[in-house]
Amino acid sequence: MSDILLPGQPLPLPPRAPLPLPGPGTYKRGATLRSSLLGLPTISSTASVRAPASPPPVPQQGSIVLGKITHLSPTAATLAILVVDGLSLPATDEFVGVIRSQDVRSTEKDRIRIGECFRGGDVVRAQVLSLGDARSYYLSTARNELGVVFATSEAGATMQPVSWQEMRCPRTGQLEKRKCAKPEGI
Amino acid sequence: MSYVLPGDVLTPPAPPPKSLKLGPGLLMLHTPGNPVIAHRPGVLHSTPKQQHWIETESRRYIPASQESVIGVIAYRAADAYRVDIGSAHLATLDALSFEGATKRNRPNLKVGNLVYARVSLANRDMDPELECFDATTRKADGFGELKDGFMVECSLGTCRRLLDSKHFLLPSLAQKFPFEVAVGMNGRVWLRAGSVKATVAISRAIGMLDDRQTSDDEVAAFVQLMDV
Repeated sequence: MSDILLPGQPLPLPPRAPLPLPGPGTYKRGATLRSSLLGLPTISSTASVRAPASPPPVPQQGSIVLGKITHLSPTAATLAILVVDGLSLPATDEFVGVIRSQDVRSTEKDRIRIGECFRGGDVVRAQVLSLGDARSYYLSTARNELGVVFATSEAGATMQPVSWQEMRCPRTGQLEKRKCAKPEGI
Repeated sequence: MSYVLPGDVLTPPAPPPKSLKLGPGLLMLHTPGNPVIAHRPGVLHSTPKQQHWIETESRRYIPASQESVIGVIAYRAADAYRVDIGSAHLATLDALSFEGATKRNRPNLKVGNLVYARVSLANRDMDPELECFDATTRKADGFGELKDGFMVECSLGTCRRLLDSKHFLLPSLAQKFPFEVAVGMNGRVWLRAGSVKATVAISRAIGMLDDRQTSDDEVAAFVQLMDV
């Protein structure tokens, strides 16, 4: 832990060596190289400082995200993004995604009934279409492998997908309509 | 007729029938033994055809699909009205959900108007949606704007009793004077009669029926003594 440099702290260089080139995470002030980040130094011909933890993932255009549906309206479904490209977000980051009704599936886009595609609490795999507006990313589930991954039935059991439009509750046998994602390996 | 509380397990009649029809208030659990439990307080009713249900007195309406309700227009959003039907959330009534409505020709409802509509979508994750035509025929069939008249509120149980064609109140009132009435499943009744006196008389009669302290005989006697 004592190796970690604070921003502004001079790099620990061997005393009579030539000054290395300032690399990422460092800057030169007067005759000293200083760190600009909180992190661990790497000193060779170029000095750099790297933060010890990897930065949290941020959704980009084309990222595959997993989110939980928080709100439904006739025109859109809102979800809280939990996982971006396989990396789960830390609890402090809250990203909101919106799936508009025309982006739910690729066929018959105008005759969608959102209640037959998603329900509150469903976990959905979606792709980021764009960075959207100030409040939320715009997402799409219009591909076979996108859609509801996990849902709970009215009886409280985890449902299994039967087709791309239906899921079945194992306890009661009832079918419920969802836009299901194609499971891997099928 | 027996009074049950939520959680009470109900024993099926012996010998156990081939099929049980469970109505409002009853649930069959999918645990070993498949017990039938009540999830509402009220009186358990049964018919010889193995139909069972619980009559609960309640005033708060919970929207259910295909029920006819009376709503008050709360405000106009683009291409839709937001309607108060007495539930937890305002319902949405699309401006084109009327018989013969097109983009150029649509009814012009104002804030405060009453409508008789059918709940087309009611699930726990979304705001309820209404339509003003019959589902199969797409004709008005009595749905639409309710002009003039007066609306009274009562309990959900009173509305269910008024909707029963064999109930005594509305036919006995009709013998005194003519009137129009629309009963909503959400605890609201709209009436329109020829005079203010008749309107007040009907609303008082419905209020007495709603009052748990007065018996049906007292209401019938009140209607007989009416001087309208």
